[in-house]
Amino acid sequence: MSSRVEILNDGGYRSDGRRQYELRDISIDLSPRGTADGSALITHGLTEVMVDVFGPKEAKSRGQSVHDRATVSVEVGIMPFSTGERRKRNRGDKRVLELAASIRQTFEPIIQTSLYPRSEISIFVHILQQDGGLLPASINATTLALLTAGIPLTDYVTAMTCGVHSTTSLLDLTILEENDLPHLTVASLPRTGKVTLVTMETRLHAERVTECLKIAGEAGKILHKEMKKAVEARTQKLAQAMEMAPKVAVVGGGSGGVGDVEMEDEMDT
Amino acid sequence: MANLTSISKSEKSYIQTALEAVPPLREDGRALYDFRAVLLATGVAPLANGSARINIGKNPEEGAGGTEILAATKLEVETVDSGDGVDGGRIVCTVTCSPAAYPLLSMNALDELQYDYTTTLHQVLSHPSLHPRNLGILPRKKSWLLNLDLVVLSDAGNVYDAMFMAARAALWDTKVPITRAVQYTAKKSSSSKPVDEKMDTDESSSGFDTRQIPSAQDFDLPDYWDEGEVLGGRELWPLAVTLNIHSSVHFLDATSKEEAAAPLKMMAAFAFPSTSSPTIQAVRLLGPGELQHARLQTLLSEAERFGQEMYDALEIKLRDEDFRRNHKARNRFAQR
Repeated sequence: MSSRVEILNDGGYRSDGRRQYELRDISIDLSPRGTADGSALITHGLTEVMVDVFGPKEAKSRGQSVHDRATVSVEVGIMPFSTGERRKRNRGDKRVLELAASIRQTFEPIIQTSLYPRSEISIFVHILQQDGGLLPASINATTLALLTAGIPLTDYVTAMTCGVHSTTSLLDLTILEENDLPHLTVASLPRTGKVTLVTMETRLHAERVTECLKIAGEAGKILHKEMKKAVEARTQKLAQAMEMAPKVAVVGGGSGGVGDVEMEDEMDT
Repeated sequence: MANLTSISKSEKSYIQTALEAVPPLREDGRALYDFRAVLLATGVAPLANGSARINIGKNPEEGAGGTEILAATKLEVETVDSGDGVDGGRIVCTVTCSPAAYPLLSMNALDELQYDYTTTLHQVLSHPSLHPRNLGILPRKKSWLLNLDLVVLSDAGNVYDAMFMAARAALWDTKVPITRAVQYTAKKSSSSKPVDEKMDTDESSSGFDTRQIPSAQDFDLPDYWDEGEVLGGRELWPLAVTLNIHSSVHFLDATSKEEAAAPLKMMAAFAFPSTSSPTIQAVRLLGPGELQHARLQTLLSEAERFGQEMYDALEIKLRDEDFRRNHKARNRFAQR
């Protein structure tokens, strides 16, 4: 079905009108949701992922807690109406578990877990819409949700998919392109340039891998800029609210809020 | 049901004595029969046939909190004779509780809870009295399966009312693709000239003979200006009213703390046909406690009154949403 779609035409345009290295539209919403400590909603084109973060809090079961650091738990829920064909995936589904494991492994070394011994940080990922790049969108959203929750990270984690069409590499694949092209997902730390996760499910010529890694790393830096902008805007709003606060009311102890904002500030640097 | 929110004894008695006071008081300053602010949007899932997102009690300053539910319908074609399809279509409702809504519950407790919600919703909505007439495609051959999926994204009390409102909005929004039956007839070997498939004139059969009704085997989707037509009888989808009962008072739209302090509740689902008086589609008495028989009747009539108000308000909003998404969008498109 998808083999009839021209991945890259002679003019250098892809099936959705983008150029080779052009990313899809990104929108970030960091407004609080429910009772979560931090939440983020990110869209990469038509892919939409929402992440809620709870913690650090007491571990749900005492057996899970570790005496010298916090444990990170990840749950992924794929909405049954997120794809064209309705498909209900349960919690035990292999695909879901694999996605959750990749996210956990990406963030375990980044979160400064040693600051919170015997506690738990829960990350709940909701996939609202799928159009390729599920794992990178989830990772980017999780980074933002962790930041809004005020959990100290050593760096942002930004992820991107990179595919190869004959000899040219493409960034940020849609589901059509993902089905047809060999692609790898790279999660990198934009400040240090280190890579925390590389996954690939298809075959790719060894010569192409280095190029892919390089380009995905570049894309990560762009994403970092966008994400930082969103986080800074949110922090600015909080700081403004803090300045306003004494004029409005002194009741209802603002001390908790002050603490939260200070943590935000530290993280931005 | 497991205790979803745990409150201390003193908190509990604080809420209870305030409810018993004259006039009764509630934590957030509402009167007994006041609802929190309800936010509703339809058409939130582009890949679904109909969808809605509802939030009850969102905090206006912080933007957090509130019971939030996402509902979406998806249609699938089913074969009646060989598959599990039913002539005239069927409806399956599923409720999923996000672990983010109940971060303290274990996975097993969460499964039990969503099973509870699923059963209630499915039993009410798949009842034959509410079945839409346009879910069949070909009699005895093909039919639509309507999957209604609800996701509880966060719970701040009064999930049942929110669930039914979300379900109603999503079903109201649902568009069923228009289908046309297609029939293939083989050429008769005896006839010398080719016979057109529609003009099948045989000498032996008269035009009035209705014994051989042509039965179409397949269908196609004609080109149509819209995504389809709305579900038949969509004004009938029921709404639930939950009355939380504490000693002699009852109140609407409890927060999770109030639910924990006054665990007995009566949920009643009403359908409001335009031509006749409202019908009760379901009644459930939830939580520990008991109720006098005579009181149940007054509670039911009270619930019906609140249900009617809720129905009227929702109706206005749904028509508004319809207008926003169809007429205005078309006008904008025309003016480009």
